[in-house]
Amino acid sequence: MTLLELDGVETYYGESHVLEGVTLSVDEGEVVALVGRNGVGKTTTLRSILQLTPPREGSIEYRGEQLVDLETHEVADRGVGWIPEDRRIFSQLTVGENVRVAIPDDADTGEALAIAFDTFPILEERRDQEAGTLSGGQQQMLALARGLVGENDLLLVDEPSEGLAPQIVADVAEALNDAARETTLLVVEQNLPLALDLADRFYVLDKGRVVDDGDTAEVTADDERLRRYLSA
Amino acid sequence: MLVILALVAYPAVYHLLTNSPVANLAVAVLPRMDSMVAVLYFALFAMSFDFISGYTGYLSFGHAAFYGTGAYVVILIANGKVPLLPPGTPFVVSLLIAAVLAALLAVVIGLVSFRLTGVYFAMITLGFAQVMYVFVRGWDYVASNPRDGPAVGSTHAEGFGIGIPFVDQLNLAIGSFTGDTVTLLGHELGTYTVSFYMVGLVVLLSYFAMQRVIHSPFGRVMIAIRENEERAEAIGYDTFRYKLGAFVMSAFFGGVAGALFAGFRRSVTPENTFYFLVTGDALLASIIGGFGTLAGPLYGHLFDHGVREFLSNRGQGGGLLPYLQETLSEGLLTTQLPGGISVQGFIQAALNGHASLYVGIVFVLVVLYVPSGILGTVRSRLGGKLSETLPARVWGDR
Repeated sequence: MTLLELDGVETYYGESHVLEGVTLSVDEGEVVALVGRNGVGKTTTLRSILQLTPPREGSIEYRGEQLVDLETHEVADRGVGWIPEDRRIFSQLTVGENVRVAIPDDADTGEALAIAFDTFPILEERRDQEAGTLSGGQQQMLALARGLVGENDLLLVDEPSEGLAPQIVADVAEALNDAARETTLLVVEQNLPLALDLADRFYVLDKGRVVDDGDTAEVTADDERLRRYLSA
Repeated sequence: MLVILALVAYPAVYHLLTNSPVANLAVAVLPRMDSMVAVLYFALFAMSFDFISGYTGYLSFGHAAFYGTGAYVVILIANGKVPLLPPGTPFVVSLLIAAVLAALLAVVIGLVSFRLTGVYFAMITLGFAQVMYVFVRGWDYVASNPRDGPAVGSTHAEGFGIGIPFVDQLNLAIGSFTGDTVTLLGHELGTYTVSFYMVGLVVLLSYFAMQRVIHSPFGRVMIAIRENEERAEAIGYDTFRYKLGAFVMSAFFGGVAGALFAGFRRSVTPENTFYFLVTGDALLASIIGGFGTLAGPLYGHLFDHGVREFLSNRGQGGGLLPYLQETLSEGLLTTQLPGGISVQGFIQAALNGHASLYVGIVFVLVVLYVPSGILGTVRSRLGGKLSETLPARVWGDR
């Protein structure tokens, strides 16, 4: 069943035309990777879905309901979560407060905290520490933990491995694999091996357009088919 | 708690020191009791400014509108100019009505202003306040000469009592001439001291209420909005409603502060209520005391007011200039300095009427070298809030 469907999405920053008719779909329960070079519109695609940068044209349907023209919090209320690039944690709240603020009002707070801290035990150790004082890897774990407790049906994950040490990337990949068992994921990732390892399907974005797509099982990270779009 | 105890003890300490062998120095350095009352109600206004600006990141440059509304409503009620509310309406009731009206005004201003962010939000709120300033300056209904503002008339000759409404025995009036005096353990507490404690009580209750909100889930969302509004929105919070709610609450307490001001002073002018520099003083107090600390503006305003009073040129006691003139010998004062100026002349030239200049210099230095303000810096040095870290530092972990 199709969970998310983008059709002909045209998004601008001022006069700059960033997405030029993006069309893609995500089925319930699958992990889809959105890959491409820097500046081709991957993050803008996620921002358009969330209505943080609303598209000027095109359609974005989630469970058959149009998201365009909704407020961002209304999109979130429908079960769409976001783990943004560069973490964007609330640096002056404690680790515990950062997680609590992401737990929906009607959720069991204790259970949600247990999910976050079981996934990333280091966060429980640092529960009362200001989040801004965490290392980059721990901040990424916190950002993921907040996504996990949000009771989302679709999680938009933006560059989860960016700037992280290899060991931390492995932890993050494991957490995303765990999350994928419960939630549908749309992952923006430049680390191609990681993206292909995580995802069932992929879309390649270039200059604001989807230029290729397919099953990850059919390609490898050094396929010429992908390389021509991803090499600088 | 330490600060509360220090403030409770201040009148006694002031009385003791100003009647001791170091009276001259104490009078020069310590703020007078009437100044301390002003510090308290204005600090509440600065805290209400910090509540919205420091915790959501939205600079409410028009916050004086709420202070002015609180002040004017109290005086208009006392003068029988508000329909259905007689001049004898208990002050606490007037204060609450004034605060609620300030909050309602915030709903109107907020519904328009929160469509914008950053400097545009600051400017539109400033615009609203300036419109109100110009309006009350020309509104004949409030006073015969609205430019000078209204004063409490003969319809309310008695002082404004703080306490349980309609129970005279449980009220103490504030004000310099109309306030109550109290005899406690054989010592008479003057009108300023009684006003200090009663105004302080309202300020304390207001502070605890705001602090309670900040430490609630609502307060966490306020901080989340300040840190990253997009992220807070994407989590599912309707940030517009949270911002508006915080704005309304801050306006309520800004209105309480204005009402206390009017109750104590019994006369107000457009310049000391609605004018944009009133918000400027709150901003100054917040930055010096610590932006986003809630209690910081109290320290900031105490510091600002203390420096101004210390460097003021008033000769009726208090301040550095009279102190030097009284304590330095005649011979030293008449000593000629290079350039043909006497020490007396130099002191006059350097100190007379220049308090704002020095406060400005202090402000620049604070912004440059203590950007977190007094309380923010103390907290970061101690690694947390004073109440949590100071006992451990003083007595160690037991």
